[in-house]
Amino acid sequence: MYRQCASLVERHRSELSFALLLSGYALYLILGAWVFSAVELPYEQRLREQLETARQKFLWDNACVSDERLEELLTRALHANNYGVSVLGNASENNWDFISSLFFTSTVLTTTGYGHTVPLSDGGKAFCVFYSLLGIPVTLLFLSALVQRIMVLVTRRPVAYLHLRWGVSKPKFAAVHAACLSVVAALLLFLLPAVVFCRLEPLWSYLESLYFCFISLTTIGLGDYVPGETHNTVPNSHRTLYKLAITLYLLLGLVCLLVVVETCCELPQLKSFRRRFYRENNAPESETRDQEEFSSTEHDQMTDHLTDQLTFSSVSAQAASLRQDNTPWQ
Amino acid sequence: MALLALAHFMYQMVGATIFQMLEKEAEDHNHFQLEKLHFLANCTCLDGLHMERFVQVIRDSSKVGLSLKGNQTMDSFWKFTSSAVFAATVVTTIGYGNMSPSTTAGQIFCVFFALFGIPLNMVVLNRVGKYMLAIERNACDFIQGKTNHRKLTRFMIHLLSYLSGTALFFVMPMVVFKQQEGWSYSQAIYYCFISLSTIGFGDYVADSNPDKYYPEWYSILMASWIFFGLAWLALVINHTGEILERLNTHLKHWWSPEEPSNAGPVDEVKEPPVDG
Repeated sequence: MYRQCASLVERHRSELSFALLLSGYALYLILGAWVFSAVELPYEQRLREQLETARQKFLWDNACVSDERLEELLTRALHANNYGVSVLGNASENNWDFISSLFFTSTVLTTTGYGHTVPLSDGGKAFCVFYSLLGIPVTLLFLSALVQRIMVLVTRRPVAYLHLRWGVSKPKFAAVHAACLSVVAALLLFLLPAVVFCRLEPLWSYLESLYFCFISLTTIGLGDYVPGETHNTVPNSHRTLYKLAITLYLLLGLVCLLVVVETCCELPQLKSFRRRFYRENNAPESETRDQEEFSSTEHDQMTDHLTDQLTFSSVSAQAASLRQDNTPWQ
Repeated sequence: MALLALAHFMYQMVGATIFQMLEKEAEDHNHFQLEKLHFLANCTCLDGLHMERFVQVIRDSSKVGLSLKGNQTMDSFWKFTSSAVFAATVVTTIGYGNMSPSTTAGQIFCVFFALFGIPLNMVVLNRVGKYMLAIERNACDFIQGKTNHRKLTRFMIHLLSYLSGTALFFVMPMVVFKQQEGWSYSQAIYYCFISLSTIGFGDYVADSNPDKYYPEWYSILMASWIFFGLAWLALVINHTGEILERLNTHLKHWWSPEEPSNAGPVDEVKEPPVDG
C-alpha cells in the first residue's frame, strides 16, 4: 500500500514539477509586467502632456498651419520613421547601402532584429522570409560547432589539466573556473564595449550603452538604441568601418556569451540540481525506437544531455543544442 | 568547420547584396524630404528650425509609441496587459521594440528581468516541446500497434505533425490577423514568421494599433500562439537538423567507407532502422 502511494507520487513528480515550473513562469511574467507598468506609466503620462502642449503651442505660434495639414505631415513622418527613414534634417545617408545591408543581414541571422531598418518592398519581405528560413538553421549549426570547439579549448582542457596537475576536486574547480570566465566575459563583452559606445554615440550615457550591449547580445534587439544611426557622430569615411566593427562585435560577442553560458550549464552542480527537477517518466522504451529518440541502453545518459538546455539565447538555437548533444563532438 | 564558417560568411555577403538591390528603390527617403519642403513652402510663417525642434518631440514620443491623432483619449501604452506582452517579448527574445523602457529604472530592470527570464523561458519551452514530442510519440506507437508498416507510419505521423503545426501556427493566425488587424495575407504571414523566429522587427505588431478595437480574448490568443508556436518551431528545427545530420553521416559513410565510424550511440541505434 505504502509502496503504491510512493510510486504514484514518484510517477507524477515530473508532472508536478512541470506544473510548478509553468506557474513560476507565469508569475515571473506577471511580476515583470507589474514592475514595467509601475515604472513606465508616469513617464508616459508626462510625455503625453508635453506632446500635447508642444502641439498646441506650435499651432498657436504658426497660425498659417492648419490642424489637418499638421496631422497629415505627422502621419507621413511617423510612417516613414517606422521604416527607418529619418525625418530630421537633410540626412542623406542611405539605409540600404552595402554595409548597412550587411549589418541588417547579421541582425536577421542572429535573430536580433532591431527593426531600425526593415525591408520595405514586398520582394524584400519575401526574400527576408526565405533567406532566414535557410539562414537561421545554418547560423545555428555554425554557432554551435564554433562554441563546442571553443569550449574544449577554454573549459574542458584547462579544467581537466589542472585537475590532474593540482589534484583539486573537479566540481569545485569547475565552479571557480566558470565564475572567473563569467567575470572576464562581463568585462570584455559588456563593460568595455559600453565605454566605447558611450564615447562614439553623442546621445548615449554609459548606462544606456550598457543596456544596448545587453539587449543586443541576448538577441532581444528592441531597437530603441541602434549605433551608427545618428548621422553626425562618426565622419563619413569611418562610418563603414564603424558599422563593420559593430557587426563583428555582435557576432563575436554572441559566440563568447554562448561559450560562457554553456560553461556554466556544464557545471556538475547545476546538472545534479536539474536532474532532481527533470525526472523523466521512465516509461518502458521499445527496442525499435528510431534514431531521433535515444537508444534504451543510453536513455538516462541522453536524458541528461537533453536537459542541458540552458545554453543559447534563442529558441531555435536551443533546438540546435538539443540535436547537437546527440553526437560526440566532431 | 572552416567550410561552414566560409559558407556562413558568403551567405551573409550574398544576402546583403540582394537586400541592397531590392530596397534601394523602395526607399521613401527623397520623396519624404520633398514633402517636407512642400509643407514648409506652403506655410511661410514656419521656419525650419522650429519645425525641426517640433519634429524631435514627435520622434521621441513615437519611440514610446504614442499616437498623434488629434485629441483622442486612448488606452495607456504601459497598462498592465501591454506590459505583460512586453515582458513576454523580452523573455522570448523576440523584442519588437514598438514599446521599450524609456526611464533609466525601467532599462535597468529590463536587463535583470531578461537575465533570469530568458533561461527560465528556455527551460519552460523545452519542457513544452518535449511534451509535444511525447504526444507525437504516443500517437506513433498507438498506430504502429495497429498496423505493421513501421517506417510508413512514422513518416506519416511526422508529416501530419508538420502540416498540422503549420496550419495551427501559421495559417490560422494569418486569417485571424487579416481579420483583426486589417493586414493583407502576405503581411500577416510575414509577421507570423518574423515573430516565431524571434527576429521581431516590430514593423508589424499585433494588438498594438491604437486606432483599432480588439476583442477581449485577442491578447490571450496572441500570447498562447507565440508560446506554443515557439515550442513547436524549436521541435521542427530539431527534426530538420536531425534529418540533415543523418544525411551528413550517410554521406560520410559513402565517402570513406573504410574509416572506423565514430562509435557514438547515434550510430549504434541507426543500424537497425537502416536494415529493418
